[in-house]
Amino acid sequence: MSLADLPLHDMRRAASLDALCGLVAERHARGEATVLLAGGTDWVVEQELKPPRPDADPLPLVVDVSRMAELRGITATRGLLRIGAATTYLEIRRHPAVIERAPLLAAMARELGAIQIQARGTLGGNLATASPAADGVAALAAYDAAIVVKSVRGERRIPFSALQTGYKQGSRAPDEVIVAVELALPPEGSPWLWRKVGTRRAQAISKVALAGIAVRSEDRVVRFGLGMASVAPVTATLLQTRALVLSRPLSDITADALDAAVLSDIAPIDDVRSTREYRKHAAKAVVRGFLRDLGAPV
Amino acid sequence: MKITLTLNGRSREVDLPPLVRLLDALRGPLGLPGTKEGCGEGECGSCTVLLDGEPVNACLVSIGQCEGRAVTTVEGLSDATHLGPLARCFVDHGGAQCGICTPGMLISAEALLARRPDPSDEEIREAIAGNLCRCTGYQRIVDSIREAARERAGGAA
Ligand SMILES: Cc1cc2nc3c(=O)[nH]c(=O)nc-3n(C[C@H](O)[C@H](O)[C@H](O)COP(=O)(O)OP(=O)(O)OC[C@H]3O[C@@H](n4cnc5c(N)ncnc54)[C@H](O)[C@@H]3O)c2cc1C
Ligand code: FES
Ligand code: FES
Repeated sequence: MSLADLPLHDMRRAASLDALCGLVAERHARGEATVLLAGGTDWVVEQELKPPRPDADPLPLVVDVSRMAELRGITATRGLLRIGAATTYLEIRRHPAVIERAPLLAAMARELGAIQIQARGTLGGNLATASPAADGVAALAAYDAAIVVKSVRGERRIPFSALQTGYKQGSRAPDEVIVAVELALPPEGSPWLWRKVGTRRAQAISKVALAGIAVRSEDRVVRFGLGMASVAPVTATLLQTRALVLSRPLSDITADALDAAVLSDIAPIDDVRSTREYRKHAAKAVVRGFLRDLGAPV
Repeated sequence: MKITLTLNGRSREVDLPPLVRLLDALRGPLGLPGTKEGCGEGECGSCTVLLDGEPVNACLVSIGQCEGRAVTTVEGLSDATHLGPLARCFVDHGGAQCGICTPGMLISAEALLARRPDPSDEEIREAIAGNLCRCTGYQRIVDSIREAARERAGGAA
């Protein structure tokens, strides 16, 4: 098996983020691939599952970014939370600012894999792998987070709404390094939900997962964000559902209207983990549950 | 690539390709076969070791990523002639049967007790959620870890 290929890869560390961007760009211009290795919880597993490599195929250069200072750490300033791309889930779920101000992220990190995965896995890796089942990406969708990326052309922020263009495809250029994610924090104590449906085993990928945040003002929701995993080719942001909830007082939201909005927002498929019909059912149920908690009669 | 790491409290140097899995480096050139391989995919936890004090799957970590870091394996929890107190609790309370999962379980338990000297059963179960056991049904492992916590607290009641 191709596990035997692993030791054949060359691995380096980069002295700085700028040096890393330079290296990636140079190699990209020559048509050579570079793998940024963070926790390895996606990439190493992928290598083990790959068929043996044809002799002629060049191996990518691996650059260990797991300890690159510019990609690590968490800061919360003036309502903005910034999490470095190579910060681990364990660091995220233990950080006081995350626990107090972004409890959805803490809950997501706590239920992603088991502790061994949390001690290595990162949001940078979750975003780059870009699986529609990715939990971290679903949580970032609920916050409408911006993805900070950097290349030799400079730094830019990709709004979440412009990040994903198709199954495992996105608007990040191949030579852009994910530096951090940034999100506007809701007021302390705002309602939130993290719900993985249909599995009890710590390690299992969920059949459906919902991340939600809301800011309420009397009978209205004035900020509303949702991210749903495993119900579409990309992380679902449920725009019709968001629009419905923001458009009227909570007391005017009906279960039928809510269900219809959710169904128009998702396009689930049958796969080894679940069926299309079950996913539709679960998606409606978890969104209704969140709205009920917010006080809607659904 | 020459890699220097602190292994079970001692400084060690190995010369290996950087992407050799920590698991293979430990069991081969570093001469510590206590860490086991089950799935090789991060699912079973039998390869669990501590990296700077946190439990990780040694099948997913490359030796090159361990430069300058501290790794603790199950061998580091006992000395050459005596089982450590945590392992002793597993023996006394039926926490080990075939033993394949045991090194990983001991490491996950050690990581938990270092942070939470008096864990609840729920915290114990969460701490070992990434360690599969096909023999014990887990309850005896939970009992063993709870007992180890009690002994550490100094009350053998
Ligand atoms: C047992 C197990 C359970 C899991 N459970 C879950 C789960 O419940 N939910 C879930 O969502 N995922 C789960 N995963 C998947 C995985 O842990 C996550 O996707 C994790 O976030 C990947 O991060 P990493 O740092 O390990 O990525 P790596 O494997 O290091 O990298 C993955 C990809 O991202 C690229 N990359 C990494 N960092 C950057 C960067 N800064 N800029 C650009 N590209 C980058 C790499 O080049 C590579 O292509 C699980 C995996 C395992 C093995
Ligand atoms: S062998 Fe590493 S988790 Fe199974
Ligand atoms: S004792 Fe046999 S697998 Fe746990």
